This record gives sequence, C-alpha cells and structure tokens, in this order.
Amino acid sequence: VTRLPPQPGERLDRSTSVGFTFDGKPVQGHAGDTVASALFAAGQRTFSRSFKYHRRRGLLCCAGQCPNCLVAVDGAPGVRACTEPVREGMKVEHLNATPSLERDVMAVTDAVGGPFTPPGFYYKTFIRPRRLWPLYEKLLRNVAGLGRLRASQDEREWRTEYRRRHADVLVVGGGLAGLAAAIAAARAGADVVLADEGPEPGGRALAEGGHERARELAAQARAAGVEVLTSASALGSFDGLVAVWQASTLHQVRARRLVFATGDVEQPLVFAGNDLPGVMLSGGVRRLIALYGIAPGTRAVVATTSDRGLEAADALRAAGVEVVAVADLREGRTVLEAEGRKHVSAAVLGALDGADERRVECDLIVMSGGAAPATSLVAQAGGRTAYDEGRGHFAIAELPDDVLAAGAVADHGDDPERSGERTGALAAHALGLGDAPPPDGPADRRAPEAVPPAVAGAGRGKCFACLCEDVTAKDIHLSVDEGYDSIELSKRYTTATMGPCQGRMCQLPAIRLMAQETGQDLASIGTTTARPPWSAVPLGALAGRPWDPAKRSSIHPRHRELGARVMWAGDWRRAYDYGDPQAEALAVHESAGLIDVSTLGKLIVRGPQAGEFLDRLYPNRFANLAPGRIRYGVLTSDAGRIMDDGTICRLDDESFYVTTTSSGAGAVEQWFSWWLADWRMEVALTDVTQGLAAVNLAGPRSREIMGRLTELDCSNEAFAYLDGKRAQVAGVAALVLRIGFVGEVGYEIHFPAAYGQDVWDAILEAGAEHGIRPFGLEPQRILRLQKMHILVGQDTDSESTPFGAAMPWIVKLDKDEDFIGKWALEHAAEHPSETTLVGFTLPDGDVPTEGAAVLDGRGEPIGQVTSARHSRQLGQIIGMAWVPADMASDGTAITISDESRRLRAEVLTRPFYDPDGEVLRS
Amino acid sequence: VKALDFLEPSGSAVARSPMEGQAIAAGARMELRDGWNVAVAYDDAERERLRTSVGWADVSHLAKLEIERPGDLEPGLATRAHGAWWCRVTRDRALVIGDPAVREQVEDAVDVTTALAALTIAGPLAREVFARFCALDLRPQSTPVRGFRPGSVARTPGYVLREDADRFLMLFGWALGEYLWTVVADAAGSLGGGPVGVDALEREAARA
Repeated sequence: VTRLPPQPGERLDRSTSVGFTFDGKPVQGHAGDTVASALFAAGQRTFSRSFKYHRRRGLLCCAGQCPNCLVAVDGAPGVRACTEPVREGMKVEHLNATPSLERDVMAVTDAVGGPFTPPGFYYKTFIRPRRLWPLYEKLLRNVAGLGRLRASQDEREWRTEYRRRHADVLVVGGGLAGLAAAIAAARAGADVVLADEGPEPGGRALAEGGHERARELAAQARAAGVEVLTSASALGSFDGLVAVWQASTLHQVRARRLVFATGDVEQPLVFAGNDLPGVMLSGGVRRLIALYGIAPGTRAVVATTSDRGLEAADALRAAGVEVVAVADLREGRTVLEAEGRKHVSAAVLGALDGADERRVECDLIVMSGGAAPATSLVAQAGGRTAYDEGRGHFAIAELPDDVLAAGAVADHGDDPERSGERTGALAAHALGLGDAPPPDGPADRRAPEAVPPAVAGAGRGKCFACLCEDVTAKDIHLSVDEGYDSIELSKRYTTATMGPCQGRMCQLPAIRLMAQETGQDLASIGTTTARPPWSAVPLGALAGRPWDPAKRSSIHPRHRELGARVMWAGDWRRAYDYGDPQAEALAVHESAGLIDVSTLGKLIVRGPQAGEFLDRLYPNRFANLAPGRIRYGVLTSDAGRIMDDGTICRLDDESFYVTTTSSGAGAVEQWFSWWLADWRMEVALTDVTQGLAAVNLAGPRSREIMGRLTELDCSNEAFAYLDGKRAQVAGVAALVLRIGFVGEVGYEIHFPAAYGQDVWDAILEAGAEHGIRPFGLEPQRILRLQKMHILVGQDTDSESTPFGAAMPWIVKLDKDEDFIGKWALEHAAEHPSETTLVGFTLPDGDVPTEGAAVLDGRGEPIGQVTSARHSRQLGQIIGMAWVPADMASDGTAITISDESRRLRAEVLTRPFYDPDGEVLRS
Repeated sequence: VKALDFLEPSGSAVARSPMEGQAIAAGARMELRDGWNVAVAYDDAERERLRTSVGWADVSHLAKLEIERPGDLEPGLATRAHGAWWCRVTRDRALVIGDPAVREQVEDAVDVTTALAALTIAGPLAREVFARFCALDLRPQSTPVRGFRPGSVARTPGYVLREDADRFLMLFGWALGEYLWTVVADAAGSLGGGPVGVDALEREAARA
C-alpha cells in the first residue's frame, strides 16, 4: 500500500476523488494530487523513456526540476506530471516510447546503440554514404524530440495574454526567505509582488517540517498587501523586466528592486545506473511523503553528502519505510551502482576507491549530492558567481545595486527567514522606505558537507551526468578527448545542460567531469552563460493576444458593405477592388469614380517660417506658392535620393497642407520633426493623417457631381487644376484639392474623419445618375500607371534620384536656400544617371512580373521592371522599368525576361494616357 | 485658425466615432448630441460594472484642441478648467480635451478632435484592463489623479489621463478605433467588464 495515513500539512483532500486516464487506463487520485503522485500511488513506476537511449525513467525530484516525468496532457506535450494537478477527465499520455511505455522498441539503442550514438553522433554516424542522408534524416526526425505537436491548428484553443505589472519590489521565490523578504518590504510601504513556482508559497519548508510556519508567513504576506503569484515561474530577466509565466498569463514585471530568493537545487550523484526508476532525490522523497501521503518505497538506501540525506532517512523511517543502509560521503562511503532491470532492486555501496564494497537489496535509493544555489536568474539580472570550494558549488559573488538575494541562493540557507527579512528591509530602504536593517549576522552555520566526486562506479554501467539529454560521464570524456575542452564548447557538443532542466541537475556534474578530464579546477572552468528561459514554457504562453494594430479609414464600413476585397497597405486595411478593377478603372475614364484616399499622410505646417521650412526640405520651391495653389513635391534625403512624394497646398500666408504617401506618412512626420528640432524655426507641425478622411472624385462627370454637393463654383475658370479651396461639401467643411493622380479631372476632398461615411454616401448618391462607381487600390494603380505617375518605393529604390526618375524639373538648384540633398543633387546633375525610369508597352498578352529583368542583346540583365499592368482603356500592357540612359528614348526595343518568357517591349518616355495633360486641365 | 476650419467637425452631417459600429453591435442606444451620434446607454448592468468590475465608454466626441505655448501648464499633470482637461504634451505643445464649448476659450488652436479617438475605462479593474495592453505605470504613486501619460497603448502611440481614482481617459489614433475597441473589449471582457454608455459614466462621476 503506497498511500500513507494523512500526513500533517499534506495537500490532499482525501474526501474528493478525481478520475483521469493514463495511456487510456483509468486512474483515481485525490483532489490535491499531482498527476505524478496519483500515478505513483496507483503503482506506476516508469513515467517516461529517456531522450536518446529510451531508458526507463521514474520520479526523481517531484518539484518540476528534472525531465523524468514529462507527459502529454490533453494533447499538449512537455507537461511535468509532478507539478500538474489532477483534473477530472484529463487525458494523460506518455512521451517518447513506441508502441508503449512498457515495451519501447527504441530501447534497443540502450543495448546496442552505444558505439553509434556518441556525442554529436548525428554529425558522424549518419554521414556516409551520403546518398542515404534523406533516409537518415527521416529516421532521425522521427525519433528526435519529446512528444509531438499537431502539424496545424485552425484556431487558438488557449487564451494567453500579457499582464504588465510595475512594482517597487519583485521577490522571486516564495520559500521562507522570499516570504520574509516580501513581508518586510511591504510592511515598510513598498508595493511588492512575489512569484513562486509552486501551487502555494512555502518552498522546501512545506515538505520538510515547516508547513505551519510557511503558511503563516504566506498569510502575513497577503495581509501586508503583497501580490502573491503562485504556480508562477520566473522565466528570465530582460534588462530589468522579469517575465513570469502563470497559467494563461505572462506577467511582465518591472520592479525597482529585484529580490531573488530562488533557493537551491538538490544535486544528484553520478554513479552507474543513477537513472533507474527508484533512484530519487531526498527532496523528492520528502515531498511524496509530506505533501501527498505516499511511501516512496519499502526498503531504502540513502546516499548523501550532507545532513539533507540524513533528515530524509528520518522522514522515511517515520513513514514506515525501512532504511536498510546509509552511505554518508563524509564518512567515506557512497553509492557506486544501482542494480535492477525495470526498477531498482539493489544498491552497491562502498568507498570511492571501490573498497569495502557491499550489495544491499532495496527498492529505493535516496541520494543527496549537495545543493547548487539557483543563480541563473541572478546571473541574467547582472549578478556574478564564483566557485565556493568549501561547499563545492558556484555561489553569488557580486550583485548589481538593484538586485538582492536572500536565503539559500545567497548561501543563507541556515536561517532563511532572517535572511529574507533583512533583504526585504534593505530593498525597501534603498527606495526610501522603512528603516535600515541591522548589520548582517554571522555567515552560514550549516553543517559541513562533502563535495561529491565527479563520478563513482565508473565502468559498471552508464553514469548519467545529464538526464535530459542522456549525456554520460563517458560522453564528457569523449568530448574533451575530441578537443571540446571548455564548458561552453562541451555544452554545445554534448548538449548537456540544454534540455528541459536547463542545467539545474547537470551543470555542476558536467563541470566536475570536465575538471576531472582536463585537470583544471572548477573555478577556472566556470559555468555556462545563464540564458532565459529558466523554466520551460509553452510557446503559446509567449504569444499574447492575436491583435494587429490595423488602421482603418472612417469609410471602411462602407467598403465592407460594398463587398470590397480588403488588403494590407502598410499599417492600413484598404479596399483593393470591388470585384472588377478594370471596369472600375474604365468608369473613371467614362463617367466618374470615387476612391477612399484617407490613408494619405497629412501634415499641417504653419508659422511665419513655414514656407522657408518647406524650401529647406524639398528640392523645389514653396515659399513663393500662392495661397490657394498646390504644387507637387518630391522629398529627398541628404544623399539626394527620393524618400517620398506628395502635394503641398498653401492655405494662407503661414499655413501649408502637406500630403505624403500612405506608407511614408510616419517617416515624413518624423523627418519634418527631426529637422524642425534642429533648425529651431518658427514653425508648428501637426499630424492630421488620421483626423481627416479624404476621397478622390475623378472622371469626366466629376464636375457635375461636385456641383450637386457644394456651392463652390467648380468651373475650370473658377477652380483650375492645382487649385485648393476650402468649402462646404455635402454639408461638411472640407478642403478640396484639384489634382489628378489618376489622370482625369478630379477633386480630392479632405474633411473631418467623423463624417467619412456620410460624405461618401452623399457623393455616391449625387453621382448615381452619372454612373459613378467606387474604385479600389488596384484600379488606381492602373490609372496612375497610364499617367506614368511613380509610386515611391515601387518604381524607385534607395538609389533613385529625381534625375534618374525622369523628374529633373522638380530640382531647383538655383534656389536661394540650401536644402536637404542639394549637394548630392548638384553632383547628380553633373554626372547623369546611368539608368533612367521609362515607360514601356507590350502588345496585349501576359503581363510581366514586377521585378522582371530587362536584358541587353547578349541576354545580360541591364535593368528591371518596376510596374506593369494590363490597361483595358489603352488595349495594351503598359509598365515602367529602369533601363540604361542610352535606351531611354521613344521606340527603343527592350527585352524583358520573365521566368522562362522573353517579351519584346517598346520604350515610351511620356505618359501613356493624356501625355500633355489636356484632360487634367480641362 | 480660419485657414484650418476644415479640421473642425462642425458640419450639418452626423459626426460618427470610429467605434460606432462596434458600439451598436454591442447593443448601444445611440443619441444625437451636439451633432455626434453618441452611445449613451447599453443595459441595466452598466452602473454595476462601473462599481464592481470595469466598463468602457466611447467618448470620441470630446473636443480635442492642440495649442502652442502651453504657458504654465504642469508637465505630467492635467489641469481642469472650462469643462476640459488641459494637458501639457511637450515644452511647446498642449492638448485640451473636453466640452466643445472650450473652443471659445482658446485662440490659435488646431482642432484635432477627429485625429484622436477616445475611450474612458472606469471601475475597480480599470488598471488591470490597461495592464493587458499597456506598459505605462498607472499605479497611484506614479500616475495620481490628473496624471497625464503619453505612451504606447496596445502597441500604438496614445495618451492616458487619470481622471479619477478608478477612471482613465485613453486617447489614440482615430483610424485605430476599431482595433482599440477590439483590444479593450477582449481585455475587459475577460475580467468581467463590458461597455457602458456616457450617461452611466456621468451618473457615476456625479455620485463619486
């Protein structure tokens, strides 16, 4: 009978049964059980198969530290059975064994695979013959890894989210030291968060006789206002931000002081067969007894290097387990080998040199190989560790000012509560809260410990240094033999410390083995770099919520109602078309079209020096622009390269309305702000991109439609091309710009975004009898290409100047003011561009791909296509391409290479449609 | 500024928040107020939400003006005057947020009412809602009542103003309205919150 009578402080509610399945078989546990404790109580002893050799593995730490009890729960792999609470109906399955945990065919690797599976075997064994690599790869992929994820999943099944938490003090670790630190800081007035990975704070004390005090301190902490996060693992420290994972929430805690009370990790001993089910750490044994009322065996052998093992022996005896032998290394004896096939059946004890050997039959070997302070998070937060020869482990040697440590991690394990209390008070005092604590007391007064050997019982069987990755003492020997003689190299070669335990159980053994093999001391070898995550975390927990910050025009609901295909355009969602882009483009030529251009960047530039400011930014002039007039502008960089383009309308003497491309809005606003800060001019800049909706009403009937919407005289005489006027349109104050990106008479109407839908509706209603049709981004691209209007970023790249882009007229080198890029443009003017942007036409047929190469007569690439579309209006394919300057003349034949096709095109240097702009100006 | 009068939402058409569609879908009763279609009420649970969990209200109709030369406005702390919050943003710039009548109190302002949408998030869990999408430190010791914080909200630029102990005004880009409603509804909904109308918000403020 495994279950003991109720234990003081146990977690079980024995009156409530919980049923679940393990590999399809029903299991009954109690409320408060973990999956592991319930399974163990039900007689299960093998919990998993090891990573490489598929050896049986049983419970070891019972604290979520080791890899031995990894299972899949309800399809999610990588769950530690020893910390996962039982839930009614949960489906638990084993990992890494085929066809079953009991009969695993891959266990053959343990028997015969040794010579074929040395460290880095996948680089060595499966190299030759090379032609078989596809087969090897398939095989290796099948056997590698622990558990399987579903290949695809349509929707999220797990809600995970981030929670940002600012605090004065974050305490990581809720043992007695952590609790005392949190209480002291909170009582001094600090805002304190405490994160503990256990289901309740208390740490080791809960299972080692201190449960009453632990629970009392936890209650005091809550009463003091400490936010206590349980089942909450600190994953890492990222420049002061500590990520704490708790169920579905990833807490991002930013605290002014970090207190690490992460305790220590009990270390296994390295001996032959040290991974057999039935070999357990003393802490694991004590947790099984105290928290879950389970007797971990019937006949136990204890092997220890400190009092921790002796205390475990007492606990075993109290639980009715017969302790048949104790091997205390301080007295010169240790365990050399665990015997057994499926489970421990005997232990071989003796001196390190093999003397005084004795075989003892048992079903449980309890080991305690000392403790390693859990310094990984401390190191990530900037702390430094050094080897402590007396204790045989790496201890904290130095801490940054804002980081403190308490309890066992700080080597104050003898009086954790006092250590925590003092540290909490120190943390608060550093923030100006509470009194300074009294000076530190005497150093650790724990009883002396023996430093375990790197390995005992070598030659008797596999001695595992790293249980996660199945790395043996012999593997470390081989890696050193092959030249991997630093701990970082050895880590990467053998993969020791890279498994689920993240070095908790194996770093120190690996370092000891390295020292033995190289003859170096442990201090010289040092530790590997501490990196997040300290605790295993599902990727889903890091995903947060699935929201994209999408911008939508205020007219967007109408686009949806009209059945628009919506696409991403920068950070906007835009209507790509409404079903037939060619027909939409034709409507603009034949009657009228309406497009939502709210995504354009829009800036108000005002102040006495606004004109001068723009003159310094653009290569053309704006200070001489008359109020009510519009001018096109190309923004260039210091290097004279095209950054963006748009129109500028002068509103009055001191106010300009600047539009930019949709995707360039943010960058232009930053560019303006940056120069404004530098030049300190009397200019104010306001970004109204999102504040104004904008639509472009274009086409031969647009003037008539405008006449139904506004009192404004829209005749060509009163409202000429490139005029900008303020007027009421559809009952709304608007700025109307007569410009023509799409090549027809057009009015760009800008008005407060709150009226977007109503103004859109009013225009469509007014234009209904004129055949108005909404058009999307794709027809707009066809129309602009007909006019050879460039799209910055598509037809230009980071090397394009206005000269190369066939816009030399926009550069006014004779301007009085210096302007951004002037020097570079002067240079460019004197050294004509080698390539030029031109148009080209093709007879109707396939449209070349944007990016296709332009070839010379020898088939060498000499340019590339930037835009290409079929134009139903023109009955041909049109496009733009960069070609050598000497080919930039009307009628020149060029060859376009588009995958396997060769297309013959003809160069055109003027717009395909309305080349003289007569339509636009009419 | 006369040349910029086209920025001011003062037309005869109905002014609509970018979150109008979502408010209606959530059951809002809409009313035309000062030219705006405003979500004034939802259901009987609104006040309970504001008292025990969290509610959010679309207040995008609030007037927002950008002024230069903010004078002696205190950085980081808003001033309440003329039915509006006066919030210094930079050395040379301030935002005035509130009653439309405040337009008469300022000269030479740029109307940015429709550049910034706004949500009020109120109730004892308001800070928890923010914690789901915003890294600003909104604890009372860092952001007291009247505290004004420019920063990132849901990965976009915004402002947060603590109007009262459990009441925050959040401003963000108008075009991001639908997105922010989704984010806030998701975060607040998971904490038991729901939308509230501006009437319930005002009644609760009056009670407080």
